[in-house]
Amino acid sequence: MIETVQDLQDMARGAVLLGTGGGGDPYVGELFVSEQIKRGKLPKVVSPESLDDDAFVLSIAGIGAPTVIVEQLVSEKTLLRLLARAEAFYGRRVDALISAEIGGANSVFPLALSAISGVPVVDADGIGRAVPQLEMTTFSIYGIKATPCLLMDDVGNVVVVDAVNDRTAEDLCRSVVTAMGSMAFSAIYPMSGRQVRECAVLGSLTLSQGIGRAIRVGRDRADGDPFASLLAYLRQQDGRVARILFDGKVTDVLHETRDGWHFGLVTLQDLRDDKDQFTIEIRNEFIVARHNGEPATMVPDLISVLDRESAEPLTGEMLTYGQRVKVLGFAADPMLRRPESLEVLGPRLFGIDSDFIPIEDLAAKIEAADMVSAH
Amino acid sequence: MGSGPIRLGIDVGGTNTDAVLMQGRDVLATTKTFTTADVKDGVIAAVRTLLAMHGGARSTIEAVMIGTTQFVNAFVQRRDLSPVAAIRVGLPAGDGVPPFSGWPDDALAAVDGRHYLVGGGSFYNGKDYAPLDEDAIAAAAVDAAKSGITAFALSASFAPIRPDLETRAAAIVAATVPDARITLSSEVGGIGILDRENAAIINASLSDLATRVVGSLRQAFADLGVTAPIYISQNDGTLISTEVAQRLPILTCSAGPTNSIRGAAFLSGLDDAIVADIGGTTTDIGFLRGGFPRETTAPNTIGGVRTNFRMPDVLSIGVGGGSLVVPTEGGADVGPRSVGYRLPQEARVFGGDTLTATDIAVRAGQGGIGEAARVADLDPAFVEAALASIHGQIADAIDQIKVSATAQPLILVGGGNILVSRAIKGASEVIRPQHGEVANAVGAAIALVSGRVDKLYDFAGLGREAALDQARDDAIVAAVTAGASRDEIEIVDLIELPMTHMKSGLVQVKVRAVGPLAAFV
Repeated sequence: MIETVQDLQDMARGAVLLGTGGGGDPYVGELFVSEQIKRGKLPKVVSPESLDDDAFVLSIAGIGAPTVIVEQLVSEKTLLRLLARAEAFYGRRVDALISAEIGGANSVFPLALSAISGVPVVDADGIGRAVPQLEMTTFSIYGIKATPCLLMDDVGNVVVVDAVNDRTAEDLCRSVVTAMGSMAFSAIYPMSGRQVRECAVLGSLTLSQGIGRAIRVGRDRADGDPFASLLAYLRQQDGRVARILFDGKVTDVLHETRDGWHFGLVTLQDLRDDKDQFTIEIRNEFIVARHNGEPATMVPDLISVLDRESAEPLTGEMLTYGQRVKVLGFAADPMLRRPESLEVLGPRLFGIDSDFIPIEDLAAKIEAADMVSAH
Repeated sequence: MGSGPIRLGIDVGGTNTDAVLMQGRDVLATTKTFTTADVKDGVIAAVRTLLAMHGGARSTIEAVMIGTTQFVNAFVQRRDLSPVAAIRVGLPAGDGVPPFSGWPDDALAAVDGRHYLVGGGSFYNGKDYAPLDEDAIAAAAVDAAKSGITAFALSASFAPIRPDLETRAAAIVAATVPDARITLSSEVGGIGILDRENAAIINASLSDLATRVVGSLRQAFADLGVTAPIYISQNDGTLISTEVAQRLPILTCSAGPTNSIRGAAFLSGLDDAIVADIGGTTTDIGFLRGGFPRETTAPNTIGGVRTNFRMPDVLSIGVGGGSLVVPTEGGADVGPRSVGYRLPQEARVFGGDTLTATDIAVRAGQGGIGEAARVADLDPAFVEAALASIHGQIADAIDQIKVSATAQPLILVGGGNILVSRAIKGASEVIRPQHGEVANAVGAAIALVSGRVDKLYDFAGLGREAALDQARDDAIVAAVTAGASRDEIEIVDLIELPMTHMKSGLVQVKVRAVGPLAAFV
């Protein structure tokens, strides 16, 4: 599945789109894997169906501040040592690795370890997008505990966290990682092959790579519309709705940090009509998009901002005044829209005073309103 | 004519060397000549012409400002590069992403791509996570020197807040390899070790060429008897000394487009406009916002290598005075192939046999250069089709990089500006300022001096206001050190980037302070 640097670049591009503004830039991990691919060491990807029921599967995730990752990068030795320590700790050989979060940087770290260790990565993840907290993954929601987990830094410190619940695990891990210099790798969410099939979002690597490939192929075609190619691909995914919510330029970006979270508000304007406004609220990820005040897409459905010409997906931190962009709305994986999921990652959990309304219902409302105003 | 100090602005491009003499806001004389293999000869010719035109003494020149694309062209074309040894202080961190990760193969081959990872490095809070491995640094230097390498790029994790890690490593390399030329990553970039390290490596690869070119420029002025201080334009359109340029040539790599946009602003008196610089081979389109070029926000690449330099957001298209014009079925194609610097020999109006965009412009009566009689035979319908192609390509490019639908004035500069004769879609008016053909030399002549910081500041400990004041002061001190007049310095950029995901209270702050040269206040 990932045999060339281009395959990997496609996957990373898709991971930024699925990161829905957050999740961290996969660039550093992507370079790690590219270097391995150039040396002929390919990451191996296996399907969830191929796992034995009692196979031992583990997540490998980077936890930390983006500012630190871009300075300290990723160590081969640390990843290999973490795998060895995890096998000793859990008392089992790891049969497969899994991404906790396909959106952003943590899509590539399991691939990095796979390339250097030979342990395969399952084509699945714990959320199908990016989320700010551990307890919001489908692993946590559907009954896999994040802990006991191992946290390891490059110097060799190892901390075991065994928390009463995943909400607490989140807080404990962050405190430990801050003491480790704000960057560490974790071996987390020990699970069985059967649990992967029951609790993970399946086919995430395929989806991510397919998104990146659709954008690239669309650009390279003579008629060159990457958006047409991207939308056509997204709409093949279990009938999940995908639509361009807005086309315009960024007129304002507010960023602030509260309690270690990135809050922000992005304002966009139509290129021709400055009355036509669009806003996106950020809480690490893009959480709600509103067109002239009316919600157009909300969490857990995905909101992505893409360069208007190249369809390159952009993270929240990359947005600045004057950029010309298109905003994409994409229905979340059906698993995220079940009631038990919405209880943990619905809009209210992000401080938005609304129940979850799916993108397709919001689109129907907007169309109905347009019909009325047209008369 | 005004009085006061006279400045000499020069732009040494790939094809042309342009020069201008300025006094205050007045342009006293301009000239355009060809760039020579040893840049000195072209510069001497240009300056002699200017002085003859102005009739003034060379002793009245108080400062010389030079913009040059020599260094960026050399790296992009992979020529005249020195082999580089990259030494990164970082272990045990980062071994999975060594120096040169992500480099194109030809760039890697051109600079040899030898790297060493050694122990040491800092956490984000400035504390060491590992001791500096001095023996490993010395061993790396010895090993590189054995293969004849004398250009070194040193990097260290969190060097922007712990530059001492790199200076200590540099002292060891210098003691081991006496003729080493060393670039520190903290001198050429901010947070983000890969981009910063790449910039250091590119810089080190240019160190031989920089010694030669800057030495040659200095020699040119010594030969001319001009004793005024010489400054070189850097990427943001501000000046650095020849000593700094010789040591850090990478700081000059996008000065060309910046100078032409700044020059266009000065000559037109506008602060916000679209600028098209039409040269021999390409037209470079950029935006002027608040008197400075609009810069790109995404990471930039130089010759296929990612760096964290901010560059003017410029779109180049293959239309220029030397563009080949080829008949097609019922129309004409213009560019992207060009006769380039051979225009004065090959264009029809100059006695050659190649039909170029310049010939079309002359046939259409847009410019009185060369012999119009030599293109009188061109069919008007064909000329019309070629003109439509030229204007259409420029209009499309403008539309592609515009960020607003509002029409803005278009300033035309560069030697090829005669190609445009009519209204351009998306432009409210077309302005052709006097002396626009040497706008880049004017941009060099009017340049200011800047100071920058890009560091993590402790907002939690100091409070936001005090931390920002500290950052502003650091940038002002940097500007004064570079030669700016302290009282005239303005803060032109201040960007705060909070360290997300952690409760650390540290914020990355980027500040740029700009002011006029103390000598000209």
